[in-house]
Amino acid sequence: MAGSALRRLMAEYKQLTLNPPEGIIAGPINEENFFEWEALITGPEGTCFEGGIFPAKLVFPPDYPLSPPKMQFICEMFHPNIYADGRVCISILHAPGDDPMGYESSAERWSPVQSVEKILLSVVSMLAEPNDESGANVDAAKMWREDRDQFNKIAERLVRKTLGLPPP
Amino acid sequence: MKALLATVISLALTTVVIGNAYYQKKQFYPSIVYLTNSNPSMAVMYLQAFILVLLVGKLLRKIFFGQLRPAEFEHLIERSWYAITETCLAFTVFRDDFNPKFIALFTLLLFLKAFHWLAEDRVDYMERSPVIGWLFHVRILTLLLLLANCDFYFIHHAYQFTASKGPSVQLVFGFEYSILIIMIVNILIKYVLHAIDSRWEAPWESKAAVLLYTELAINFLKVLLYIGFVAVMVRIYTLPLFAFRPMYETMRSFKKAYNDVVLSRRAIRNMNTLYPDATPAELAAADNECIICREEMHTGAKKLPCNHIFHAACLRLWFQRQQTCPTCRLNVLRAPVPDTTAAGGAAPAPRAPLAPNAAPAPPPAAGPVPPPFPNMPPPPPMMAWGIPPPPPPRPASLANLTTAELQRMEGNERRNIEARLQLLREIQAMLDASVLLMQQYSTVVANLPQNSTSVSTQTETQIEETRREPEEPVVKSEPDVVPTTSSYKSPSPTPSTSKTFAPSVLDGSSSQMPQTDTPTSIDSNRDKTDADADELRRRRLQKFAMDK
Repeated sequence: MAGSALRRLMAEYKQLTLNPPEGIIAGPINEENFFEWEALITGPEGTCFEGGIFPAKLVFPPDYPLSPPKMQFICEMFHPNIYADGRVCISILHAPGDDPMGYESSAERWSPVQSVEKILLSVVSMLAEPNDESGANVDAAKMWREDRDQFNKIAERLVRKTLGLPPP
Repeated sequence: MKALLATVISLALTTVVIGNAYYQKKQFYPSIVYLTNSNPSMAVMYLQAFILVLLVGKLLRKIFFGQLRPAEFEHLIERSWYAITETCLAFTVFRDDFNPKFIALFTLLLFLKAFHWLAEDRVDYMERSPVIGWLFHVRILTLLLLLANCDFYFIHHAYQFTASKGPSVQLVFGFEYSILIIMIVNILIKYVLHAIDSRWEAPWESKAAVLLYTELAINFLKVLLYIGFVAVMVRIYTLPLFAFRPMYETMRSFKKAYNDVVLSRRAIRNMNTLYPDATPAELAAADNECIICREEMHTGAKKLPCNHIFHAACLRLWFQRQQTCPTCRLNVLRAPVPDTTAAGGAAPAPRAPLAPNAAPAPPPAAGPVPPPFPNMPPPPPMMAWGIPPPPPPRPASLANLTTAELQRMEGNERRNIEARLQLLREIQAMLDASVLLMQQYSTVVANLPQNSTSVSTQTETQIEETRREPEEPVVKSEPDVVPTTSSYKSPSPTPSTSKTFAPSVLDGSSSQMPQTDTPTSIDSNRDKTDADADELRRRRLQKFAMDK
């Protein structure tokens, strides 16, 4: 019998394939290894990331779903809650106990109730509404607060880049 | 490509150096002497040796592991950096023994360590891999056997050396290889567990527990070894700084494993003894899917105090991490014992965790009834109401709420609980007040048939007074008169149950309230002087009752 992590990931993959949420595609990079997924996230409408298609990688721990996966964008991103190397910093991806930003209550942390779908939906809403209190990227958080026009310009450039269009 | 380039360059350099030596000396021995005396030549030779070691490593890796996965490679690099730094620190302690042999031994140690790490990662990977071929088993078993042999050989060597020549750098090697042997044992146990698990069709529930205990034992052994090693090193040489980081990490993981074992044992014991198995009806009412493994629940499901249902096996795994409900994060170690009536267990004892004055309350059936002394001082307010009234029945409208609304209501944050406590206290105060009022009414009504003269004005003030001061019962007690008070019981069931000193009332035979049972305080002064007033009051109340 394969591990419970593998079975749950297969179940989630099936669920996501049969019933995909809007604007999100996700699945294992290759079906030999169910512990590394790739996801494509479309920028939410009405925000500065609208129209962009952002690829990201999800790496699951062997004890998934008891521990959260890690998520990292593999395209260039400029966002208050995304580190410069693309790692996503949202509270449901943090196991209760470790608190990199020192302010999250355990109620919003990882628990087995969460799923790939919920993570990706949280990321979409994070793209729409950055939380500039927990600055994974301090420059972006500062610009988001103080110079929204400049932030929007950078976001537009990134969106064009993900679509393979030349910068405006 | 880079590796190939480095290999070719070092090979070319070595050829040039050796060729040069032979060209200058023309004979074997003189050229060797020349090589060993010339520092640049020796540097080239060392480089060549290093490259050779790397090449052998690559070859062995290909044989035993095939292609490394990126995660394994990252892990390897990260651990190598720590190991190299610590080896350099170790050099400072043993600077007197510093020679090529010493370096070679340390390189070999690092080399073997790297293979231990890789083997560990590979065995951990077994759990995630959907298919494991026979090649994997052959490779891992051969590798583990080889590594164990090497470790044994070096431990033996270190022991012999230390025994014959006294303490030296061999102490460090002996210790390092002992740690590696323990690691091999750990990997082997994990391998066997994973292999057994992969053979079985059904999920093996106790595997995680076995793994946890193994980790605890292995970490305990390691901690012992580290402490022993540091003690020996401090006695003979100096503080072994290079061993501190791994020692600290081992202690931390030991502590974590210990905590995990203790807490999870407690949570799992709670689960096994206190929480009821979910009934098929409850399973059908929920959506029948265990939110942890996303599989259907048929048997072996448990219901937590918060009414969330999971597989017992999944809960056991989760409790090894955290002792909370996965859905609502209720702390199962701190949560009150669930209502045992659902489990068909013991009858629910009247517990009063919320009443601030619950402590002085005597058990309902125990204490003897204190005789109603005529001059007994009035009991301190709230004292007589040790047992709070039973909770009111749940309003039927709860059934109409959606699941989301219910979940919002059952929050477990501090403020929710505080709000609930506050509300309960207010309810209790109001109930106490109304109980007192009801009691006064009932006593008054009890005396009704006896007297029937009237002095209207005084009674009114009397009643006003009792209304204003519900905490001070101004109630008469006349043991001779035992009238029925059933007509006054109906408005609220609370007065009967909340009488601490009336066991019969608690039994449910409260249709008649004997006056002797009520812990009434008697304001004797007023009693004597205001006999007329009492009569009047009775008449008033009689009229009042008739009006109703």
